[in-house]
Amino acid sequence: MQSTAQTCETVSDRLSGLVLKRPLGLAWVGGLAIAFTLLLLLNVAVGWLLMNGVGIWGINQPVAWGFAIVNFVWWIGIGHAGTFISAILLLLHQHWRTSINRFTEAMTLFAVACAGIFPLLHLGRPWVFYFLVPYPDTMRLWPQWRSPLVWDVFAVSTYFTVSLVYWYIGLVPDLATMRDRAKQRWIKIVYGIGALGWRGSAKHWARYEMAYLLLAGLATPLVLSVHSVVSFDFAVAVLPGWHSTIFPPYFVAGAIFSGFAMVLTLLIPVRAAYGLKDIITERHLDLAAKVMLATGLMVALGYASEHWMAWYSDESNEEFVALNRMFGPYWPVWWTTMTCNILIPQALWWRSVRINPVLLFCISILVNVGMWAERYMIVVVSLHRDFLPSSWGKFHGTIWDWSTFIGTIGLFFTLLFLFVRLLPMIPIAEMRKQTVEDEAK
Amino acid sequence: MNTPQPHTPAAVQPREEDEFAPGAAEWPEDFSRRRFLQIMAASLALAGGGACTRLPHGEILPYLRQPESLVPGKPLYFATSMNFGGTAQGLLVRSNEGRPTKIEGNPDHPGSLGRSSVHAQAELLSLYDPARSHTPMKLGHPETWEGWLGEALPRIAHWKEREGAGVRLLIQRIGSPTMRAQLAQFLAKYPKARLHFHDAAFPESPMPARVHHDRVQVVLSLDAELFGHGAAHLSAALAFAKSRLSEEQPGRLYAVECTPTLTGAMADHRRTLAPSALVKYAQALADAVAGRAQPSDEWSAALIRDLQKNPGRSVVVAGHFQPLSVHQAARALNEALGNIGKTIDYTPAAAAELAPATLGELVTAMNHGEVDSLLILGGNPVYDTPADLSFAAALAKIPFSAHHGVYENETAQLCRWHLPESHFLEAWSDAQTLDGAESIGQPLIDPLYPSRSAHELLAMLLEQVPTTGYEIIRAAWQKRHPADDFESFWRKTLHDGVAANAAPAVPAAARESSPNAETPALAGLELILRPDAHILDGRYAENAWLQELPKPFTQLTWENAALISPQTAKALRLEHGKLAELRYRGRTLRAPVWILPGQAENCVTIHLGYGRSRAGTVGTGLGSNAFALQTSDALWGGGGLEVHSLGERHTFATTQSQQYMEGRDPVRLVTPGKTSVATESESTPSLYPAWKYDGPAWGMVIDLSACIGCSACTIACQAENNIPVVGREQVLRRREMHWIRVDRYFDGDAAAPRFLHQPVPCMHCENAPCELVCPVGATVHDHEGLNVMVYNRCVGTRYCSNNCPYKVRRFNFLKYNDTDSPTLKLMRNPNVTVRMRGVMEKCTYCLQRISAARITAEKEQRPIRDGEVVPACAQACPADAIIFGDINDKASRVTALRKSPRHYSLLDDLNTRPRTTYLARLRNPNPEIG
Amino acid sequence: MNALALHGLIAEFDEPGPLLEATRQAYAAGYRRLDAYTPFHVEGVAEALGMRNTGVPIITLICGITGGLAGYGMQYYAAAIHYPLNVGGRPLHSWPAFVPITFELTILFAALGTVIGMLLLNGLPRHNHPVFETPFFEVRNQSHFYLCIESRDPLFDRDGTQDFLLQQKPAHVWEVPA
Repeated sequence: MQSTAQTCETVSDRLSGLVLKRPLGLAWVGGLAIAFTLLLLLNVAVGWLLMNGVGIWGINQPVAWGFAIVNFVWWIGIGHAGTFISAILLLLHQHWRTSINRFTEAMTLFAVACAGIFPLLHLGRPWVFYFLVPYPDTMRLWPQWRSPLVWDVFAVSTYFTVSLVYWYIGLVPDLATMRDRAKQRWIKIVYGIGALGWRGSAKHWARYEMAYLLLAGLATPLVLSVHSVVSFDFAVAVLPGWHSTIFPPYFVAGAIFSGFAMVLTLLIPVRAAYGLKDIITERHLDLAAKVMLATGLMVALGYASEHWMAWYSDESNEEFVALNRMFGPYWPVWWTTMTCNILIPQALWWRSVRINPVLLFCISILVNVGMWAERYMIVVVSLHRDFLPSSWGKFHGTIWDWSTFIGTIGLFFTLLFLFVRLLPMIPIAEMRKQTVEDEAK
Repeated sequence: MNTPQPHTPAAVQPREEDEFAPGAAEWPEDFSRRRFLQIMAASLALAGGGACTRLPHGEILPYLRQPESLVPGKPLYFATSMNFGGTAQGLLVRSNEGRPTKIEGNPDHPGSLGRSSVHAQAELLSLYDPARSHTPMKLGHPETWEGWLGEALPRIAHWKEREGAGVRLLIQRIGSPTMRAQLAQFLAKYPKARLHFHDAAFPESPMPARVHHDRVQVVLSLDAELFGHGAAHLSAALAFAKSRLSEEQPGRLYAVECTPTLTGAMADHRRTLAPSALVKYAQALADAVAGRAQPSDEWSAALIRDLQKNPGRSVVVAGHFQPLSVHQAARALNEALGNIGKTIDYTPAAAAELAPATLGELVTAMNHGEVDSLLILGGNPVYDTPADLSFAAALAKIPFSAHHGVYENETAQLCRWHLPESHFLEAWSDAQTLDGAESIGQPLIDPLYPSRSAHELLAMLLEQVPTTGYEIIRAAWQKRHPADDFESFWRKTLHDGVAANAAPAVPAAARESSPNAETPALAGLELILRPDAHILDGRYAENAWLQELPKPFTQLTWENAALISPQTAKALRLEHGKLAELRYRGRTLRAPVWILPGQAENCVTIHLGYGRSRAGTVGTGLGSNAFALQTSDALWGGGGLEVHSLGERHTFATTQSQQYMEGRDPVRLVTPGKTSVATESESTPSLYPAWKYDGPAWGMVIDLSACIGCSACTIACQAENNIPVVGREQVLRRREMHWIRVDRYFDGDAAAPRFLHQPVPCMHCENAPCELVCPVGATVHDHEGLNVMVYNRCVGTRYCSNNCPYKVRRFNFLKYNDTDSPTLKLMRNPNVTVRMRGVMEKCTYCLQRISAARITAEKEQRPIRDGEVVPACAQACPADAIIFGDINDKASRVTALRKSPRHYSLLDDLNTRPRTTYLARLRNPNPEIG
Repeated sequence: MNALALHGLIAEFDEPGPLLEATRQAYAAGYRRLDAYTPFHVEGVAEALGMRNTGVPIITLICGITGGLAGYGMQYYAAAIHYPLNVGGRPLHSWPAFVPITFELTILFAALGTVIGMLLLNGLPRHNHPVFETPFFEVRNQSHFYLCIESRDPLFDRDGTQDFLLQQKPAHVWEVPA
């Protein structure tokens, strides 16, 4: 039985060591190289886009929204898991969250950053994006408050700001630790600036914990509102397949569903690579998988109610949309969605599957694919055949659509690779407390 | 995409060899043409006043003396007229600061009655087309008119001593009396010279006739195109709409045809027959009416009874492309029904006094070396003549050949000389309607390039003074209209656009010579050749507006196709959108297959005018050249066609992929006596109180009974609102920009479908879904309830388009407007913004015209009168199907029409409360047929 | 060295328990100018130091209300007063459409208020602090528990206070130079 001081020392040393002591390693360098290459692809795609206009994408009449919106919704959704874990589970006193919340919050930030790119790029005239923001204007012009897109601007920017602040505040004591443990002076200075002169004063801790708790309380309704607002982009429209009251809850569930899928996609390799199996344990995988199963079932309920309403409402347009999704020109999208989002996750009923990293990894990948397909189904497949048969059309993503999408994946992973080597991916201070309490038991 | 190679006669090649003669190194290159234009920009810009932005250099010259009646910013209107297939279309052209910017019909002109056709509208683009010929060419090298004279004058001397032996003139249909006079003089001066007519789009009818649609109750069309391009389609459409809508006795239309036409689409009863069968059917009808035989079936019996019920008030019209026998049958029917002199007059052939010879005779003479000088006035015989004549080869034998035309086309390329022709808006001319009403064509702008009109060229050849178009025309008119006060008569005619004393045309016996022989009944399929609805025989191939204008029934743009009926296609195992090879009398042609309901069985229709090898930057190399299958003995097709699928896929640039209404009812139909077509959801309640408009509240009613689906509205809108063309590749991506489109649906079974047209502009909904979702308020309602677009506020989210149930919004996905070509800058309507890349646009109800009317009304301190505001679409519409006005004004026409039982609004259950509403299509079927 | 040059005396503990006890004792003994330094948040220490409430929640509340009012006010003013426009035939004051932005701004203001408020109350960011001069503090502050009695305290007396601290059985007692 070692003293608290010794325990704290070992924890601090080990976790800060992940950044300060551990050599970079070939896997990390290689991974970063690949991710960065994809990031460069994004630069090319965006450059070409700004030169020529959104016409380089496949969008047309009637399908005026394509990949940009699909990717936007997909990325935002992924972000939700981070906030869910760090805020909602904190309020629910789920202590297992401690070891993964820093990492998932980072994931949230990077996902939202990727998402944020698309609403800007998809504008016909991106250089006047600021028209969507209220600012003093000599022509007395304002945004049009009734438009869900303006709601988006506020929701997404708020979400990003709050997530960033929440994440940073969580980092401050750990940055102090890094500051004090770093050897080279310049590293001390860099971390020192981030640490804001934190010295662990008990009074500071008291206010800090209170503020952290309040932020969690604020982030919880926020995260629920963000994807509801995103769903309004569709629910507010008159388009059959969009015009539906089920969207907000069904989008939020879908968001957390896809978010946890991404969490597993990332954590499983990371815990293996950095030997953190004792910190990110089987229990974590098991619980994350359970959340995935639960939210997945909610999503299934969403699909079911959509098709039920289409039949029950006896509204010919709605019926048509449902049938067109299943058997229309885009039938593979619907079947992919159902297979990946409903069928496959049922395997998670078995604990043996939930704690099997390899299987779990594959399932999480498939869920990511399925959720992308779902958004494609909602955006494109609803648009391509609306009210007047004369204006029916088709949509196909061009090479530029794909480059932009893959490019953002590159951006996401570049940020992630840098994060795991520059900041403590596991909250040190919280882990100290955690370990001490566990040993006390 | 995959466009079949255009058919090029062997002799077209030589020009490519001397390509690299000094000074000609790169002349066909697009680039050097551009530079040439840029050099010219300065002079053009000065000619065009301030409207031309970004002058290269050169000072701005203010007016020293203000030109009379020219107030900068205030458009002027001039009456002029256009020769269209030998008949006059009276036009009224808007001129902004000396630039013609819009072509309208002239209300005082009997030929147009203020309406205009797609072609008249599109001529504006032709005028400013950068690809027009800019200078005389000799063997492909730039030359001057002086150079031409230097070579022509000795020739003329030579002609005189040989009395014009070996001199031939090849011309198209002539509408100009003065031109006819000049040609007569030419023949007088050179007695041995011969005149040849060739016009692939407007063939001389075997029995020229004039129909008085205003007096007709029942029409039987034997493959006649009453409403499509042609002699008097504008007045015909209007007259038919009137009779169809008459309360007491709605008119009725029967159509028997080989391939779908706009006429057939309007018919109450339509029957399709292969050409050979149609010939027999016409004969059978004539026999039945004469009592020599029994009607072949119940349908025909009912038809005959209906005709006989209306003696002297019915008419049987045979199509231009039908052989003489059909016309004779039609004439027999009209005689039996006592229609001649009442509803139809048979007229003499045009310009019979010139004793024109045919193209065939010319080619024979050329091949026998009897021709040493050939002057081609307009037209493009190297391209648009039957393949068996191989005109190009014959032309190569001619020592002195000259082509006079607006474009430097295939023919110009093979002639020794090419002489640029002035566009009709640049030159003085005159024209005549079928009724003989004469009108003057006065220029709106100085020639943009060193060009001459045909009159001027002929005067040159006749060694006449005066030589300027103005003097020629005026002198000719003075001769033809000897008035004691000619000056005032002349001025009045210029002002009105039509001569007061119209010479009545004399009905006469039919001319029995027939250019279209009977179609010999051979085994296999029958080929049907027709001019394209929009680019005709290829003369408009370079006109991007017409190229991008969706064609009737197929909505096809930028190309043609082999049209085949569903059953025939199935029998031949042909698939829609697969390339096929057409074998006809030893000649072959590759064309994509289009399966078209309503096409006659065992027939393949392919439209002429495509596969041009030298049609400028826009028209070259599109579609497949059907002239490759044309033979001089049967110009409009015949039996003995074989079709084999090549299996190669072809993607069609069509603007409408769905042909049926899918059980929804965008187009509603009624028969006389039916009460209402409005559904109960017409008056859906709303949570919000309706907005009040104390001023005018603009609205539009579109009468589907009148609409003939000619698309004149689309082109008129394009011209008025500076709407860009996007090109074939962008149409393939479904990005066309037309603000008002004409939707087309097939109704009923594919064997005998009903064709429905529906023009769809912006609905200007009271509860506009588009406005609600725009994040920046770039589309909002104005004080008169218009749904307006604020281009410079639009950020281009395209959300409005997604939320528009009618999908009438158009987006600039790329930079579509050509802001570089200087001539196109002159064409723009200065009152309409030229949209940039990345902004949404749509129908504005021609806001600029509304404001103009408002300003005038305010100046005169009176309310805006009903009918004072006319949007471009309504103004062009030949059938008066589009009515615009103030729905707050109890007395206005729209208010009245909105009370009609036929009135309904599109997708009313969405409660968008559209300002644009429809009147259901009224059918008047024969009760005996049902 | 003399007492005035001192920031205070600091006792170093290996366990949180003794620290908490020592703090209570010090407060009971009448010391007021004291502070504790811990590697993580130890419940009770702040209270033992005489801290009644953190003062953060009230800031959050005020900022939240401000944000909400500002959000709704802005939309109402813009849509109904400053530049009224007929948008899709909807009323100028279409309140249901104004709810989302109002909500988002409430959250945004509250969150930023909370963080900034917390930092200000803590006097952070701060460039340096005397406690860092404590021997080995830099390496041990992430593992050890400190109680510091500052020289500003009226009861502070170099020897007396040192005796007092030593009675609490710390691992060490250090002088913290000013």
